[in-house]
Amino acid sequence: MTKSLQFKPTRRAFLGSVASLTALSTLPFSRSAFAQGEKPLLVNSIRSLSNPYHAAWNAGGKAFADSVGLEYVTLVTEGDSEKGVADIRGILARTGGNAVVNVDPNDAADARPIAEACVEAGAHVFTQWNKPEDLHPWELGPNYVAHMSYDGTEYGRQTAAEVIRVMGGKGGLLALGGTLSNTVAIQRRAGLEQALEAAPDVELLDFQVADWQAAKAYDIVNTWLTRFSGQFQGIWCANDDMAIGALEALRVNGMGGQIAISGIDGIETAVQGVVDGELAATVSWDPFWQGSYGLAVPLLARTGELDVASLGKDKREFYVKGRLIDSGNAEEFFQNNFGSEPALAVDDIWARYDSGIPQS
Amino acid sequence: MATETAGYSPLSQRLPAWMRSKSSIARLAPTIIALIVAVIAVSIYNPNFLSGANLSRLAASSAIPLLLAVGVTFVILMGSIDLSIEGVLALSATTTVMVLQLDPGPVGSVIALVVAVLTGVATGAVSGLLHTILKIPSFMVTLGMWFVSAGLATLLLSGGTIAVRSADLRILVMQRFLGLPLSVWLTIGVVVLAIVFQARTRFGRHVMAIGGEESIARLAGLPIMRTRAMVFAIAGGFYGLAAALAVAQLGQGNADIGEGRLFIAITAVVLGGTALSGGIGGVVNAIVGVLLVVVLTNGMILMGVPPYLQQAVLGVLIIIAVASSTAGKREGICK
Repeated sequence: MTKSLQFKPTRRAFLGSVASLTALSTLPFSRSAFAQGEKPLLVNSIRSLSNPYHAAWNAGGKAFADSVGLEYVTLVTEGDSEKGVADIRGILARTGGNAVVNVDPNDAADARPIAEACVEAGAHVFTQWNKPEDLHPWELGPNYVAHMSYDGTEYGRQTAAEVIRVMGGKGGLLALGGTLSNTVAIQRRAGLEQALEAAPDVELLDFQVADWQAAKAYDIVNTWLTRFSGQFQGIWCANDDMAIGALEALRVNGMGGQIAISGIDGIETAVQGVVDGELAATVSWDPFWQGSYGLAVPLLARTGELDVASLGKDKREFYVKGRLIDSGNAEEFFQNNFGSEPALAVDDIWARYDSGIPQS
Repeated sequence: MATETAGYSPLSQRLPAWMRSKSSIARLAPTIIALIVAVIAVSIYNPNFLSGANLSRLAASSAIPLLLAVGVTFVILMGSIDLSIEGVLALSATTTVMVLQLDPGPVGSVIALVVAVLTGVATGAVSGLLHTILKIPSFMVTLGMWFVSAGLATLLLSGGTIAVRSADLRILVMQRFLGLPLSVWLTIGVVVLAIVFQARTRFGRHVMAIGGEESIARLAGLPIMRTRAMVFAIAGGFYGLAAALAVAQLGQGNADIGEGRLFIAITAVVLGGTALSGGIGGVVNAIVGVLLVVVLTNGMILMGVPPYLQQAVLGVLIIIAVASSTAGKREGICK
């Protein structure tokens, strides 16, 4: 009896000490992050650091912050919208709104509370990829500087067209899509359909979703080899990870390099695959650039060098250009982006401008 | 109405005999029937299903889920749950590719394989010790361990992916013996060991006893704490081996390599008839469960079932399986 009574407080004390130590150990990080003078704090808010895409995004933000000598913070949502919004509110409260925020909202709906909180606090905010269709930067004033995205349909079409070209313009094609309900996945698939319309001799044999994952793509392609043995010459994938899974499944069956495969995203292994001639194409969004550019533009607005109010709607909501990586430019692209740290390219802010996002 | 109330009989007594049975083999019957029906249905639709090439592919697709399901079976037999699978896979895959990066040759590949298993054992041991010493429910500990190990993996790789396309470890997947990749033979060997371990050793019986009724096992003087901690460590070892196979299969390692695997592993275990409440089921059940899941996912694609429906079909199956496995259990409150 007494023994168990003694044990309980000890266990509590132990757990309490561990919790306090953990909390204390994070202090040095938080203090340096929030120690702010009059200079604005640069903030990147992204989904997670566990994927190469957002890791490169973060590296770009860090490189830009170093180049302008400002403090830099990365916020990670880990797929949790509430956490994403709450973290940004926290930063705004601590900096008194003296911040420049570049955000890839976890969900389209998150863009509104984030943008409104930033505008209200007097910070400058820039959004990428996701936002509700009825939210426009010009409606919230100059502090919501701009929204930028890539035309998913166009790059879905370009990669599909390249696969079809490598197939010789005829034969059977298979396609792997991203998560069904995802906007980007829907756009890329629409691009695939466009490319198919332009190629009457190509038949789409099957369309499956592998949820953006290599492992699922691997299993699906394995099954396709049974179902469509000898009937297909190409596989279009809505992202690079699935393309890698597809490629590995073919390799195990002794068919590596014999089927044209495309991905999208421009991750290192996929670009290497294009260099090696095992993948037909991928598209680079250049996340390193996104992480730096999304801070550079609102910072220019904050320092008054960019007059946001005078920009047209087509420069407040716009598509930028991705880059199709195929056999022609893969080698050079690999060297510039993975062989060495990519160079910052934010001096000419309209250099990669494509077009205004069409308003419905 | 009145008669219904008066004639109330517990659900368990109204169920057919196999559902009430506590024998692992009897509980396999519906799964085996489902498996046979699925195989016949798919092969009528597509005769290639039973071709040697497809069977070999099915075996290859089963290897990783099988290792995961067998590992988690031991935990579930104890009446606990292990949610750390995806995190442990990520961390083990990370240590594997880091070793391979230093030495992609034969020696490095063997070390990488061992390191993968040891990483899994270590994370499992930590879960097990926290669970037993601090008396935290297993689902909380392992949920925490999921995020801790996934976080560590992210930290070690700084978010990147390490490609190991040319590593000798890939022989496991590329090289075939009697028509099956070496990874399949390795899995078969390990799973046979697990069957013997579960059914023929004192430790295996301890696990069943704890899952059956822990208070009685305690009174009987069984080493509860030690057994519990060891089971988590052993399960971790299985996940570690699965991680090494995943690295060999995809030629790369990253923190996302385990994504979606937890659901498949638990689905397979439950479909095989292992009760989530513990004490009933076993490794053989897990094998049949995995085969059913793999045949179904393979079959649905062969039959051209739209992707919208595939996930739903698996979801319905898991609910049926859980319903049949819990209804037969003694009357009690569902939590």
